[in-house]
Amino acid sequence: MGSNNDSSTNKKKASSRKAKLSNLAKREERLALKLLLPALLIIALIAFYPLAQVFYTSFTDRVFASGQETNFIGFDNYSRLLSVHVTTLDPVLDEATGEIMIDPDTGKEVYERPIDVLPREPSRFREVNQFDLFGNRYVIGATDPSFIKSVSNTVVFTVVSVFLELVLGLAIALVVNSKFRFRGSMRAAMLVPWAVITVVSARMWEWMLASSRVGMFNALFDRLGLIESPIAFLAAGSYQLPAMIAVDVWKTTPFMALLLLAGLQTMPEDIFEAAEIDGAGKIRQFVTITLPLLKPAMAVALIFRTLDALRVFDIFQVMLGQAQYSMASYNYFQLIGNRAMGLASAIGVIIFILIFGFAIAYIKMLGVDKNE
Amino acid sequence: MNKRSSPFNLIKRIAFNFMIIFILVYLLFPFYWAVNSSLKTESQLFMTPATALPRDPVTLEFSPTFQNYSAVLQDGQFLRGLANSTIVATSTTALALVAGSFAAFALGKLRFRGRKPALYLILAMTMFPQVTVLTGLYAVITALGFPARISLIFAYMIFTLPFTTWVLTAFFKELPDALMESAQVDGATPFQTFRSILLPLTAPALVTTGLLAFIAAWNEYLFALTFTSIDPSARTVPVAIAYFAGAVARQEPFGEIMAAASLVTVPLVVLVLIFQRRIVAGLTAGAVKG
Repeated sequence: MGSNNDSSTNKKKASSRKAKLSNLAKREERLALKLLLPALLIIALIAFYPLAQVFYTSFTDRVFASGQETNFIGFDNYSRLLSVHVTTLDPVLDEATGEIMIDPDTGKEVYERPIDVLPREPSRFREVNQFDLFGNRYVIGATDPSFIKSVSNTVVFTVVSVFLELVLGLAIALVVNSKFRFRGSMRAAMLVPWAVITVVSARMWEWMLASSRVGMFNALFDRLGLIESPIAFLAAGSYQLPAMIAVDVWKTTPFMALLLLAGLQTMPEDIFEAAEIDGAGKIRQFVTITLPLLKPAMAVALIFRTLDALRVFDIFQVMLGQAQYSMASYNYFQLIGNRAMGLASAIGVIIFILIFGFAIAYIKMLGVDKNE
Repeated sequence: MNKRSSPFNLIKRIAFNFMIIFILVYLLFPFYWAVNSSLKTESQLFMTPATALPRDPVTLEFSPTFQNYSAVLQDGQFLRGLANSTIVATSTTALALVAGSFAAFALGKLRFRGRKPALYLILAMTMFPQVTVLTGLYAVITALGFPARISLIFAYMIFTLPFTTWVLTAFFKELPDALMESAQVDGATPFQTFRSILLPLTAPALVTTGLLAFIAAWNEYLFALTFTSIDPSARTVPVAIAYFAGAVARQEPFGEIMAAASLVTVPLVVLVLIFQRRIVAGLTAGAVKG
């Protein structure tokens, strides 16, 4: 049948072939639309209204679960969340000597109080952080310091944990992809962290990280003689973010590993055989064949991990509560705790824009949306 | 030279086995600790230092307790939750895989206008934090008048459908076009090509995305908590666990929570064990010539 088709089209003129081609293209287009229909219907049914509502509400001062009247307030929510001001802090001079005052307790120079130098209009700026640059002390102030802090927390959390997950996930996928006994059980075992219910796993880690020797880590470190006194992993500021990252890396590395493993398994084996015959070493094969072929799987895995990490909620909410926010847990606090639905929606939109930026960056960097 | 017996290979094999053991310990240790905690009574849980096995507080002899497990299993909520979770997660996965693989076929293998916008639209659906869309979604669900379990299945599309679509699109795209063309020359319709060539060849990807989506739906908490608030009989496992009042514990039922978590994880592991054979069976790599 195929050869018949070929010989008959050969005889026909170029114009009719073109017409047939465009006819074919039209059929392909119609088929594509039919295939997309279920997905698009689901989006229209489930996602359209909630997403549109979030955008709209972000421009209002709507209060959650109340009959209060809602006003349109333009970009007020956004300016409240995003206003940042950086200014220098001058050292305080000792009135008697005219020299820079030194704190007798710490032995360090005393600077002005940030609250005195940060602007109060349109609303009060409060301190987010201080830093030194070229011998000057600067202060970063924001009208909503908790939010700015939550953004930086979340971005640091995302970059570090997704990077670690990629490295670990790739290593695990490569190990499991090679042939050895118990490979099947290994594949099941490696999914365990992802399978443990997220909320429960957060509780489990909270317990393991407990600030006394009731917790596994403190008991272990104490036994090994690594610590003098128990560490308050979840209460001490400098341990909080690393603890969150450790928990997330443990929990979601299987996700990354499994997707990369699927990528490794759909690779045609004969390419490697050919490379072997050509005398390419294992490392060379990995760099020139495995990695490029793995790129599509890696790209989607990275996109979805990054997306999830930027929206991280459960572990921050359960383990840190109001001590340290992620963007989503701050969002939750504003909606449920403060009932500031307008503001919460604006936070949602900002998260959306940030995620969109990350997604585009990945797609461009890894070239996934190319039409070949 | 015999490759197997060379000392270099021996070292390599030992290193490889060490790596496997290291990976297993890293991934399984916290779960072991959960099981360990689930076998402890409340007073054993608060022993300092924490013990790696449930031990008697006085004599330090090995003495596990199963009271947490029996409390969990006697709790009707938990078993009902197990059934609900199974229904919801299975239906979600099936729907997300069917709609997702259809869409992925179009997005990965067919040429049509609006391909890129469609890809981005589908991804954009999952870019908002769950908390943000919660109120809007709740309004939609109420307006549609769906019962709680059906609502959950549809709500879970928000995060499962973009995932299945994007992963499968990436995998379909990798298959050589020559495969489709030769099938077309043989007189197969595009849909036949899809069903009998593309799907079998990407079986590992299908099973993997299915498993990952299933577990994501199985573990979801916030939507489940909200949408089952009017109908407690539809509560899924994570919600049921959150509502544990604690039958044996005086304070917080931590041991019971850990017992429930261990019980819930076992069927998932069994599921993976069953399906991972399929991953291997679906491997027909020889047919793909890149």
